Amino acid sequence: MEILPFLMFLFLFGFILLGLPVAFSLTLVAAGAGYILFQDMFLMQLYRQVVKVSSDFILASIPLFILMGAILERAGIAMRLFNAFQTLTARLPGGVGVASLAMCGVFAAATGVVGAVEIVVGIMAIPAMQKLKYNNSLIAGTVCAGGSLGTIIPPSVIAIVYAALAQMSVGQLFAAAMFPGLIMLGLFILYIMIYSYFQSSSSKNTDAQKTDTVHKTTWELIKIVSVGLLPATFLIITVLGSLLAGIASPTEAAAVGVGGAFLLMFAYGEFSIKKLIDALDTTIRITAMIMLIVVAGTMFTGIFIVAGGASMVRELVSFMGDETWQVILVMLVIVFIIGFVMDWISIVLICVPIFMPIVRSFGIDPIWFAVMMMVVIQTSYLTPPMAPSIFYLKSIAPKDMTYGQMCRGVIPFVIIQFIVLIIVAAFPLVATWLPGQLSAKF
Amino acid sequence: DQIKWRMPAAVPEGSFFYENFMVRFSKNVELLTGGRLEIQPFGAGVVVPAFEIYSAVEDGIIEAGHSTPTFLINRDPVNAIFAGFPGGMAPETKVHWIYEGGGLEMLQDYRLKNMGLKSLVVGIGTTEVFAHSHSAIQEAENLKGLRYRTAGPWAEILGNYFDGAPTVVPPGEIFTLLQRRGVDAVEWATPGSNLSEGFHEIAEYLAVPGVHQPTFLWEVVVKEDTWNKLPNELKPLVEAAAKLTTMESLVHFGHSDILSMDQYANTNKVVELSPELIEQVRSAGRDWINTKISDNSTGSETAAILESYLEYQDRWARNSFYLLHD
Amino acid sequence: MKIFIRFANLLSISLGWIARPVLIALVISMLYEVFVRFFLNAPTKWAFDISYMLNGSIFILGAGYALYHNDHVKIDFLSTKIPSKIKCYIDIVLYGLMLSPVIAGLSWVAIQRAIRAFERGEVEAVSPWAPLMWPFYSIIAIGLLVLFIQCIAVVARCYLDINKSKDTLQE
Ligand code: NA
Ligand code: NA
Repeated sequence: MEILPFLMFLFLFGFILLGLPVAFSLTLVAAGAGYILFQDMFLMQLYRQVVKVSSDFILASIPLFILMGAILERAGIAMRLFNAFQTLTARLPGGVGVASLAMCGVFAAATGVVGAVEIVVGIMAIPAMQKLKYNNSLIAGTVCAGGSLGTIIPPSVIAIVYAALAQMSVGQLFAAAMFPGLIMLGLFILYIMIYSYFQSSSSKNTDAQKTDTVHKTTWELIKIVSVGLLPATFLIITVLGSLLAGIASPTEAAAVGVGGAFLLMFAYGEFSIKKLIDALDTTIRITAMIMLIVVAGTMFTGIFIVAGGASMVRELVSFMGDETWQVILVMLVIVFIIGFVMDWISIVLICVPIFMPIVRSFGIDPIWFAVMMMVVIQTSYLTPPMAPSIFYLKSIAPKDMTYGQMCRGVIPFVIIQFIVLIIVAAFPLVATWLPGQLSAKF
Repeated sequence: DQIKWRMPAAVPEGSFFYENFMVRFSKNVELLTGGRLEIQPFGAGVVVPAFEIYSAVEDGIIEAGHSTPTFLINRDPVNAIFAGFPGGMAPETKVHWIYEGGGLEMLQDYRLKNMGLKSLVVGIGTTEVFAHSHSAIQEAENLKGLRYRTAGPWAEILGNYFDGAPTVVPPGEIFTLLQRRGVDAVEWATPGSNLSEGFHEIAEYLAVPGVHQPTFLWEVVVKEDTWNKLPNELKPLVEAAAKLTTMESLVHFGHSDILSMDQYANTNKVVELSPELIEQVRSAGRDWINTKISDNSTGSETAAILESYLEYQDRWARNSFYLLHD
Repeated sequence: MKIFIRFANLLSISLGWIARPVLIALVISMLYEVFVRFFLNAPTKWAFDISYMLNGSIFILGAGYALYHNDHVKIDFLSTKIPSKIKCYIDIVLYGLMLSPVIAGLSWVAIQRAIRAFERGEVEAVSPWAPLMWPFYSIIAIGLLVLFIQCIAVVARCYLDINKSKDTLQE
């Protein structure tokens, strides 16, 4: 029976390599293994996972954020926004890349759903970066890595699920992830600037030289910035403001964002039925694609655990040493390796229940450990072959951007995530200071 | 030869409830049956969704499941009597009614007759926290217009009897919405298990006792056939494991509640509901359950269950003054 | 064969069209809830259930539509190197012999579930609103069924492609 979890991965990669869509590959493997485990009941078991994911309220922020991005793009507001950001950051090396990451940081603070940030920023950022002749790998890496911020900068669905499984406070975990998330954002930005500065050929020039900003008068520049930034500021105020003011929950804030985008479309005289229908159409197709992967992934994980996948991981952990640092290292390495082939929800569902007793028995600070885990889980979002970030990117990427470019593009950002991990490991206060401040004040 | 039951829970693996009920039960079964029956527990959502445990056992997808009759109240209100409802029995009374006052037999008969399931009570809880809130809740007037995250019968009673504003919030968003004051109050579970939810870190007030959910009950359900196939000598052992688990988990709840109340007292403003409000919730709750049962009457059987329950509660209230409380 | 493909495409496209107003309804129901809860202190009983049902509907109605557009994410760096005719045979096996039966089975279970929910008048388990579940279950069943039909259409298209290349060879 223990062979089944391995076989599941073998067949999964087989189907994926044959060119079958990821969602269908996961479904087929879940069905095959499900038949072995549940006999003629397997379809009923799988059907219930379809219902479960379809009934998940929090996932409603996926179509909503996509729709917001699509409306902004159709109405040309995204372009204006990028012109403005470009103008502001033009004199920095890698200006638009910096601007994209800053946007990711902002939207990451507004939503906790994996994928939402990546898509909403990606729809706006990719055309802008392509126009400025950024290479496809850098574009892909920037958008994927920026998207991964959505899951570490609070609010974050990963933190919520993790806290539920580890019996920890969600609030403490949110607070703990705040500084590491911001450090990660800062390092991403730093990387883009350094890379663009040192890269030979054309990109040695700043974006300012590539665009015509240098030839414009100050007055014209102010106009571009204010016209472009105004709608963005308005949207950020509506989404973040409604969230921070307690008007809307994180999911509802996405709907408020759609409302805001819709108003902007009118305000800028860009409204037309055709544009609206186009935006709706794009949203439905991308939503269907993402949700189908979520459904199929849920089917796969359930079957994988019943097949003994969890006990497989438990056995792996038992190989570890006796020193505390060895134990921590082994657990994080396991998570990193599993991250290549599974998505975050599977990792959390499988590993957290196994790790928590170990963490407690070794007297490791659970909050510190949780933050390190979350950083490593971040890498799973980027590491191929099962890289949700790349799947989401493919759904919005131009045809000339290849899978290979995407895989290459994320590597430097995975390395940066490791640097963040080392920082948190070496200076636990980065994670534990803010939660400590949280108690006793209201 | 070992028998194996896959048994999903309606709560996440590793959670307070999971450890206290599921893990404990599977260990007790192993202990008492000498390993002849193995319970393989799964966290919520792994095999079947949390709210679908009953129907998944009915359909035969899994051999057994652990859930609470609370999730069946919309399907059949008689489940509110077993699950507990606003103003219903306190934990002490409930344990006595279940094991000595005929409650267990009524539950088992009802499950068998209506759903074809063998029921084992595995878990009776202590009183929940009435609310973690941004304002003090003591009187009925404090509930007026209060945006209060809750579910089930209390949501209905809060809206209909107290002019409150019951708010539906998915579990993943409760914390954020309370933190941002999108809701004024939330109820979740017991003092001991709420500690890890962190609500007390973002809301200053803690209102007790939870007259809206004075106790709760969880059960393990097994399809009739599956149960009958169990060797006869194992059946009483599994029943004993269930009862042992209920008793052990109840005192574990109580123990951690008492410890956690000290902690809340240090960091929060703990307020007690006024005796008037408690009385008002009691009578509203009774009114609600009487209406539900007579509206949805599936015969004299449900009426008899309610009568037994209410009589027992009254008898306990009448006589329990003899019992010393510390 | 061509008529069947056209029929399948028409079905998928219609569901894609139906999903558009559903998406608008999702936005409106959430905004309405935000408005009445914050400004009128009167949250609805229904917005939560309606919202998740609308979201689930959008996804399931769009599943076949996305397949029709060949949107579903795949890793094609290897499969594009396979000769197109062999790729067609592979797809016929994958979609026709493996995936279609599974999706058909899921559709069958979904239809049964919708019928049972209708007959028993099943309501949502924990919602204070307690909506009837059969309309939502029916949408899931319809979405899965159309996804199945679109899978068959993929197979049919592969079959036509193979025959077309045979014709070209004969010419
Ligand atoms: Na976030
Ligand atoms: Na990965």
